[in-house]
Amino acid sequence: MSILEYNGSAIIAMIGKHCVAIASDKRLGIQAQTISTDFRKVFEVNSGLFLGLPGLATDVSTVERTLQYRLNLLQLRESRLLTPRSFMYMVSSLLYERRFGPYFVEPVIAGLDQESYQPFIATMDLIGCPMEKNDFVVSGTCSEQMYGMCESLWKPNLEPLELFEIISQALLNSVDRDALSGWGGIVHVVEKDRVTTKHLRARMD
Amino acid sequence: MFNYESPPHSHTSIMAVQYDKGVLVGADSRTSSGIYVANRVSDKLTQISDRIFCCRSGSAAHTQAIADFVKYGLEMHSTEMGKPPLVHTAAHLFRSTCYEYRDQFTAGIICAGWDELRGGQVYSIPLGGMCVRQPLTIGGSGSTYIYGFCDANYREDFTRSECMEFVQRALALAIRRDGSSGGVIRIVSIEEGGIERFLFTSEDCALLQNF
Amino acid sequence: MLAIREQQSSSDRAQQPISVDLPYPGFQFDLCLRNQYLISKGFKAPIAVKTGTTIAGIVFDGGVVLGADTRATEGEVVADKNCEKIHYLADNMYCCGAGTAADTEKTTDLISSKIRLHSLNTGRQARVQTALRMLKQMLSRYGGYIGAYLVLGGVDCTGAHLYTVHAAGSTDKLPYVSMGSGSLAAMATFETQYKPGMSMEAAKELVSEAIQAGIFNDLGSGSNVDLCVITSRGVDYIRPYKEACSKGVRQGDYSYKQGTTAVLETKVREIKFDVVSVTEHKMEVD
Repeated sequence: MSILEYNGSAIIAMIGKHCVAIASDKRLGIQAQTISTDFRKVFEVNSGLFLGLPGLATDVSTVERTLQYRLNLLQLRESRLLTPRSFMYMVSSLLYERRFGPYFVEPVIAGLDQESYQPFIATMDLIGCPMEKNDFVVSGTCSEQMYGMCESLWKPNLEPLELFEIISQALLNSVDRDALSGWGGIVHVVEKDRVTTKHLRARMD
Repeated sequence: MFNYESPPHSHTSIMAVQYDKGVLVGADSRTSSGIYVANRVSDKLTQISDRIFCCRSGSAAHTQAIADFVKYGLEMHSTEMGKPPLVHTAAHLFRSTCYEYRDQFTAGIICAGWDELRGGQVYSIPLGGMCVRQPLTIGGSGSTYIYGFCDANYREDFTRSECMEFVQRALALAIRRDGSSGGVIRIVSIEEGGIERFLFTSEDCALLQNF
Repeated sequence: MLAIREQQSSSDRAQQPISVDLPYPGFQFDLCLRNQYLISKGFKAPIAVKTGTTIAGIVFDGGVVLGADTRATEGEVVADKNCEKIHYLADNMYCCGAGTAADTEKTTDLISSKIRLHSLNTGRQARVQTALRMLKQMLSRYGGYIGAYLVLGGVDCTGAHLYTVHAAGSTDKLPYVSMGSGSLAAMATFETQYKPGMSMEAAKELVSEAIQAGIFNDLGSGSNVDLCVITSRGVDYIRPYKEACSKGVRQGDYSYKQGTTAVLETKVREIKFDVVSVTEHKMEVD
């Protein structure tokens, strides 16, 4: 078993028309044993900017807190909000610093640029190689299932409500075939003026 | 199996020979990365100063780094001394580098050149970081095939043309038997008057044909 | 902030409460021991994204052409179908990367900024040889553990240059080069078709052929051909130059009706904005 699979997780981010969505499962396990079904792995680091952290739960907390700390300090110093792309490079630098002894997380970043309202999604590997996409990104223990679902469901210019259905179905059907993730889902849809958060009904087995 | 990530090695045939007026250094031109020929026209004869060359064998990265380092050190040294460096100095700079990092580096180096004090000289710095002066030295994986040839045919009173013929034949024989050596033969002559480069392809050299 | 940090030695880092977690220059090794322990307990170490790549370049009459495929892989999974493998170093040079994706990305970024500083300090355009030296010295210092396998090409006051840089730090200067898992296929194309002094069009076509040979014959390479043509007149970055395989258009539609997904709870939060006007001032550099 890979260290990345120790706690189990599944995260997807998708781009729609003037909106983005990020979805994650809620399980925290220790290998096959489920510990919690309300574990947070998607964090709103700025208004409308989300960071998803699948991987080893101890590192999920460390990385989230370190990043939030660095982000807050930087934004205070510079009196401005960081763009999603700049935040991606911040995450990437943190991970690449530990190139030879990495954190076991493969982050997903999703957000709207606060000035241009351009949707932005990105992912990276555990040593911080940034990958910006214009359709969808997936990360977690069932990434292969999620790739399959997203590859067939995603299409350009999805409206927020359509985007919600597609990302939710992609997540729910992917985690159904993964023993390590699932037990509920949460979806955030970010639009220009609002963030809609929905908790999904899912199989609890 | 082909793996582009395996570090490039010069499993080489290199040699250097002293003759009446100077020295000849020679090498094949194959750099291999595992079983793949990463460079078939590489130049393993690296100039260190005006009248000093080195022949590199072993890890390409290590020997390139060592050659760069020695070249830099030698230039500083000759600036301080206000005259061209001695071959002996260059050889011992190679030796101290190779010896100090003998656990990290895979490098077999031949250092040869001409200086005012001792004329043409050849020094061999093999794997462990030893340094020894010899009138003729051969190195690299291909050299094992030509020890006999060299012992039988080397004479101390070689003229340049005789020496050139000798080096060419020796390297061609080594290339012929050694799978890790190949390509063309590069030879440099170093004398008081200057240096001259020679290149022999399979067309020039009957022994190299069919390669 | 920087002034404070320069006075500190690494040993009294812990005494500085404010900047404890701020990035320090260089790599951090604090997690190595823990990770080694986890691996010793039988957990497999995860794999990083690799670019099982075909990259290549040739020198032609008046410049160089660099080429790359656009597939990034994570094990057997295609992690990115259209990634950018020809990295910017300076206005007159670019660098193709194979190997560990993060390493090629970060190494070229780092050298790019060093080159920019170098050319600002000297008031000249940096030479390709300078970039090569920076790359090989950095990579050889890390003894091959930074898995960046590069093809460096560019034009400067001394002409057009093309180099390969191996992760261990060895370099080769050649008229035509290839790297990555598809390098055999690309090199086979070059060995049969390369001629010295080719025209730009012929050179572009040949590099494209070589990359396509990699795309079709090597499993680690795929998707499109990117090209970058560098001459003394400027750079022509063509992305994509050719789509070697296209996916085809989906005929049906998998849309779900609204309300398909069962929702337990919905929260809507308005995003409130402060209206901030932003004006840009150009920094004076000359």
